[in-house]
Amino acid sequence: MRKNEEISLQAPVTPAMFNVLLALVDGEKHGYAILKEVAEQTEGEVRLSTGTLYGIIKRLLAEGLIAESRTRPAAERDDPRRRYYRVTDAGREVAAAEAVRMEKLIARARAKRLIKALRPA
Amino acid sequence: MRTNRGTISERLYRALLRLLPFDFRDEFGSEMEEVFREQQAAAKQERGIMNLLRLWWDTLAGIVRLAPREHLSILRQDAGYALRLMRKEPVYTIAAVGILGLGIGVNTAVFSVVNSVLLRPLPYADGDRIVTLRQQAARAGVADMKFSVQEINDYRQRNRTLEGLVEYHSMRFTLFRKGEAQRVRTGVVSAGFFDFFGVRPVLGRTFQPSDDRPGAPAVLLLSYEFWKQSENGDPGVVGRTYEMNDRVHTVIGVLPPLPQYPNENDVYMATSACPFRSSAQAITNREARLMTVFGRMKPGVHPEHCGEDVAMIAQRLEQEHPESYPKAAGYTATSSALQEELKRNARPMLLVLLAAAAFVLLIACANVANLTLARIARRQRELVVRTALGAGSGRLLRQLSTEGLILALLGAVVGLGFASESRNLLVQFVERLTPRAREIRIDGAVLVFTILCAVATSLFCGLAATLYSRENIASGLKDSGTQTSAGRRPQLVRSALIAAQVAFSYVLLVGAGLMSRTLVNLEHVDAGFVAQRVLAMDLNLNWSKYNSDQQWRDVSRRLLEQAQGQPGVISAAVTSGFPLDPDGTPGGFPQRFRVEGHLPDKVVPVSPVRAATPDYFRTLGIPVLAGRGFAETDAETSLPVAVINRTLARHYWRDEDPVGKRIKFDGTDNWITIVGVVGDVREFGLAEDPKDQLYLPNSQNPSPGNLLLRTSGDPMNLVQQMRRAVLDVDPQAAITRVETLEQVRAESISAPRVAASLFGLFAILALVIAVAGIGCALALSVRQRTREIGIRASLGANSWDLVRMVVRQGMWLVFLGLALGLPCALALTRGLETLLFEVAPTDPVTFAGVSAVLAGAALVACYVPARRAARIDPMVALRCD
Repeated sequence: MRKNEEISLQAPVTPAMFNVLLALVDGEKHGYAILKEVAEQTEGEVRLSTGTLYGIIKRLLAEGLIAESRTRPAAERDDPRRRYYRVTDAGREVAAAEAVRMEKLIARARAKRLIKALRPA
Repeated sequence: MRTNRGTISERLYRALLRLLPFDFRDEFGSEMEEVFREQQAAAKQERGIMNLLRLWWDTLAGIVRLAPREHLSILRQDAGYALRLMRKEPVYTIAAVGILGLGIGVNTAVFSVVNSVLLRPLPYADGDRIVTLRQQAARAGVADMKFSVQEINDYRQRNRTLEGLVEYHSMRFTLFRKGEAQRVRTGVVSAGFFDFFGVRPVLGRTFQPSDDRPGAPAVLLLSYEFWKQSENGDPGVVGRTYEMNDRVHTVIGVLPPLPQYPNENDVYMATSACPFRSSAQAITNREARLMTVFGRMKPGVHPEHCGEDVAMIAQRLEQEHPESYPKAAGYTATSSALQEELKRNARPMLLVLLAAAAFVLLIACANVANLTLARIARRQRELVVRTALGAGSGRLLRQLSTEGLILALLGAVVGLGFASESRNLLVQFVERLTPRAREIRIDGAVLVFTILCAVATSLFCGLAATLYSRENIASGLKDSGTQTSAGRRPQLVRSALIAAQVAFSYVLLVGAGLMSRTLVNLEHVDAGFVAQRVLAMDLNLNWSKYNSDQQWRDVSRRLLEQAQGQPGVISAAVTSGFPLDPDGTPGGFPQRFRVEGHLPDKVVPVSPVRAATPDYFRTLGIPVLAGRGFAETDAETSLPVAVINRTLARHYWRDEDPVGKRIKFDGTDNWITIVGVVGDVREFGLAEDPKDQLYLPNSQNPSPGNLLLRTSGDPMNLVQQMRRAVLDVDPQAAITRVETLEQVRAESISAPRVAASLFGLFAILALVIAVAGIGCALALSVRQRTREIGIRASLGANSWDLVRMVVRQGMWLVFLGLALGLPCALALTRGLETLLFEVAPTDPVTFAGVSAVLAGAALVACYVPARRAARIDPMVALRCD
């Protein structure tokens, strides 16, 4: 936990970055697949444009939270123009730390009945 | 629709990607295109056109948001890298920042003047609608005749284009404060004057119509500077009283620290308080012209219409009062925008200086570009390695440009410091050209100009680096990259930069040479009088004590006796003025006279008139050419006499002897006999040709304004004893100005002197920068050709051959620069024509001299690296890689 906290302090992630990290947590993906995953997971609430996505990818690559994958799909399913990305261990830790932080926030909001007040069960 | 380069939307997207930095595009561009293509296909399939529009909107917004962030981040990286490199090479950094700082500083300083004097609007309400009215008698040679009270009233009542008309004139009065006499410059203005200019007092009030009525209590407004100096900025000054012109004057307010037009004054009074302006003679005499008149055009009135309106009134006045406006005088009236009036004198000089400053910057740019190229040559191996490691040439060029921009911005900071430090010097210089000098300051416009200079400089240097590095890095990839001869294009770029520096320096040096020759000519021009060992004192007698000509005559005689009695005084004269007097008013009352035997209406000669005691000509060393000067026998009761100068004699009597001829002032019945002709004197400026001049004996026209003394030793040693002597005659006399005529003469050419000094300074800067540039470039060339020189030496070339080879290489460029500079200088020095005196803009001596100086300095600069080349040990050189 302590390690996660340190990483999250070093590399605070924005909601959009968190979404991209989440999309990669269960396996490597190319750019378009990340966009689709984020849109599906958020039920269309978060729609990343190419500019935003690649701005995030550049930053995550620079911070070592994701890396370009060396393995590529089978030749019949591969497109040479695509690059595949995977989440690194550090990226996984940062994403987890962010998730824990959010969980705590939600717990505090619940304790103060904020969520209940907004969304009655 | 699909072409070879994709569908229209794909091409649009690709164009949009160009907003991003190119290394971002290199990294992710093709991938982004692919993702966008897939997004587009999905959007079309899913929900049609609306979805497609939304996709475009999101894409556009995303890239527009991303682009500045990415550019900034890369700029930060580049800047950090550039600063680290610059710290590693402090000598290069200091040299480049210093040279650019000088170039930008000179431009910033000159632009701050141009901006304040030529570009900024007047700091007055509706300053662009204020006009100056002028009356002229063109055929009588009077360009600015001033206005009489009657004329002001006529123009005020009859005009149709002006919504306000105010008058102004300036006089010197003696102000008594706590019993102490002080001579003050007094602006005499009509009641609405300050409201007209939108000036609000910092204390008290300005003049109201009631202050202007005849018999109103005399009131004074103090200028901000006078209030600060004489009253120590005392806020309780309003209500304080002074004595002036035998009346008590009450202070009613203090003016703000604004530039005062048309002259700086210590105090201001209303017209009713001025003994001259309120006298019956001034009010009733249409020809008692004393005042300057300002008007404000009604909104929407074009200046041309205002001019026509004023000219029409002049025409009617000429018809109605033929006695005051003789046909032969060619009387007209005009109006001109005050803003234009104030910059007219300064414009040619300032534009020339701005051009000179621009040349200094060009030379600085060329020099720094050369320094940068030399540095790139040293860094060639690093750049080659970075290129080999995948840094695009665009990326490297941007890195080089960022370094250039940082250097230029640091140069701009140095330049701003330079400009703000030189402000006081500039104000002193510009004060001689325009009253707007005090407005000079570094404001937003000047800052923008400085930043533009810096950006232009970095673009210039960046361009040179681009031209150079493209080929050099490419050639560096092929060979080892150091001690070989440089590629052809880089060499050409550097040679062109050297030739350009020489050409620009040549133009500046020629300009400076012409201005210096002008100054020398002015310093040596025969002014018509001998200035050495002559003391000039301003006699400010309390005029209200002297009510008759006899009293003036008496005080003149006593002053003269006192002066002549002082040890060390060779001769002395009491006079109404002296040559080159900065306070002299050549445009005051035009004195018209008729020549006996000439038709009354044929010509209306106008001449400055000077009253003087007999020793005036001897004291000033003015030769008597015919007849005689004044004598003690020319007394009040004797025959009225005059002495004229040679120009006047030639003007009206051509080959005849004017001695014995008679003239008569207009409006008088007394004929005056000419008794002598004296040499011409340049009264109103050393660069101005002598004008007609008439001298009258002080005994017949007493007006003791000045005391002139020719002394046997240093005239300044007599100042204290002369002050005491004058106070013995009139204890209330104020002596504010005591100068030697040599000082007066030197001051009269202070504007051309400062111009020549500034030009000279710019030219010396340019010469030093250019010559140092030639030396550095040759030294670099020698370093790069070490192996070649070694081979030549080992094949038998002796050191003299090597020196000759290097010097020839440098001097060839210098002569190319001179050949380019010559036509530029010939074309550009024509712009200096109005500022030159007795030297042609194409003066061959100046051109040849400057060529010799520049070539000589360049030869020395070439010789230093040439000697180094001659000392190269062939064995060591051949071992170099």
